[in-house]
Amino acid sequence: MKTGRNKLLLWLLFLVIALALPAAFYSSQYNMMLLTTVVMYGVLATAWNIIGGMAGQFDLAAGGYLGLGAFTAGTLLIRWDISPWLGMLAGGLVATGFAVLVGYPLFRFKVREVWYALSSAALVSVLRVVFLIWEQVGGPTERYLPFHKWSLYHLRFSSYIPFYYLMLLMLILALLINHRIRNTRLGYYLVALGDNEDAAEVLGVDARASKLKALMIYASIAGAVGAIYACLYGYIHPNFFSSSLSLEVSILGIVGGMGITYGPLLAAIILVSAREFLRANFGGQLEGLYLAIYAVVLILIALFRPQGIASILREVCARVTSRKEKDD
Amino acid sequence: MRALVQNVLNGTMMGCIYALITLGLSIIFGVMNIVNFAHGDFVMIAMYFSFWVGSWWKIDTVATPLVTFPLLFVFGLLTYYLVIDRTLRQKYVTQIAVTVGLMTLLRSVAQLIWKAQPRAIPYSLIRGNFVIAGYTIMLSRFVSALVSIAAILIIYLFLTRTWQGRAIRAASDDLDAASLMGINYKWTYALAFGLGSALTAVAGGLLMSFQQVDPTMGLRFGLLSFCILALAGLGSTLGLLISGVIVGIAESLAMGFWDPRAQSLVVYLIFVLVLWLRPRGLFGRK
Repeated sequence: MKTGRNKLLLWLLFLVIALALPAAFYSSQYNMMLLTTVVMYGVLATAWNIIGGMAGQFDLAAGGYLGLGAFTAGTLLIRWDISPWLGMLAGGLVATGFAVLVGYPLFRFKVREVWYALSSAALVSVLRVVFLIWEQVGGPTERYLPFHKWSLYHLRFSSYIPFYYLMLLMLILALLINHRIRNTRLGYYLVALGDNEDAAEVLGVDARASKLKALMIYASIAGAVGAIYACLYGYIHPNFFSSSLSLEVSILGIVGGMGITYGPLLAAIILVSAREFLRANFGGQLEGLYLAIYAVVLILIALFRPQGIASILREVCARVTSRKEKDD
Repeated sequence: MRALVQNVLNGTMMGCIYALITLGLSIIFGVMNIVNFAHGDFVMIAMYFSFWVGSWWKIDTVATPLVTFPLLFVFGLLTYYLVIDRTLRQKYVTQIAVTVGLMTLLRSVAQLIWKAQPRAIPYSLIRGNFVIAGYTIMLSRFVSALVSIAAILIIYLFLTRTWQGRAIRAASDDLDAASLMGINYKWTYALAFGLGSALTAVAGGLLMSFQQVDPTMGLRFGLLSFCILALAGLGSTLGLLISGVIVGIAESLAMGFWDPRAQSLVVYLIFVLVLWLRPRGLFGRK
């Protein structure tokens, strides 16, 4: 009971800090952009946790769903002046629809483990090519969203602060969904599948339906984030279907701690901040350094700490509280 | 019709090289059941090594594997003992995570060392074309295809005729039984991994004779070789050649008759169809 309340307090503390952060950084648009980026990766990695962390499907298609959301919302806005608020919904739906289209046959034919990871990685590069060739919507040049100095309808602002709060909202949503799923039948099924798929199926878990649901939830969040992403950058381009982004998201998910709700967020806060720090300080001369660090961290964590950095945190917390009790 | 035949010819030659690229992966995957996600990046690194060796010592690209082969063999052994060995008894997610980490590491290290712009070796003996019955054939690809076929045959003979090769195949069929027969599985694994990565040196040297290299091309080669491996099925060395040629021709036709950018699309489609319809592959033993 007591730990439950402590947890809630910690989450509230996190929320207050997150809400107040812009007050410390508002003077610098660059810092606000960094914050927004960190939160965005947090959202994506948290969503990835559902399919990757819980269900154990090593998905490498985050960039694909993100791009679909971005292109849906962007095209709606450019062509028909439809608000990105609707675009977010539409983007999420398109991404989900695509996930079903791809996921149904994949799970139906028991494509899993490596083969699932590979086919999802291939998906991203294929989408990129499709949108490069599909001149009506994509094409090799950037398509800019209409310029508005400050328009809530068009979701265009001359500051990153509104985007930060929007992403934060998405983050809270993603965390809540994560938390909810964890304590439902679907969550237990997914964790069982992630642990041992064959055993879970023998015990009556409908692997196909559960995995598909997980994939749909993940895709819809990534798609909605994609819509915001398009507005944040002010253009859409087939490079949004980025394999390195997909890779990063899955790395954050693994490093953070598979299946732990706050793990991926923790990893995003640490690793994405480190990445941006390196980028800002070493910039072009050491292009690629941050990915090397990501990779080393990933390998070390996977080998020696398969439960991720969240488990380290957990251990430290446990040690601190046990010492406190001793003192009492 | 002319264009069709020309495309099929080009595709066939590329397909042989693709088969050679896949060969290393097939040995590693087949023996250890370890999925080396970083395989494409091994090829990329091999190409860079060829670039270095070729441009420092002014050696012809085709000859660079003489130097890079042992280099990549050692590289593979090190990778095995430092990283892969620890993942053998872990869950598959760990294995994927580790090799994905390896892939990212290789790519970013390549970016750090060689920067993002593509590199190529300006000279090679096998530059140029020749014409047979009105069809143009690039000499570099023709020679590369021949060397690839030869390399695959040599490996085939190694795996079927030598004690060490049979040990590798035995370990892939039944590890416990093989251990009881006195096969040192750890060394066999290490050897397979070393050989698998050393083979990318041959492919890398050949590829450099007609292609540039850049740090991001690993993923393409990775997907390509997994596609060919899925098509061929595990455990069939000569089947790789046929599936490689199939993929090469399909790719070349898509590029010639649809859109030059569509090549990865076709590879992916084949990949997915195989996974759905025939997970064992065309020539798989398992």
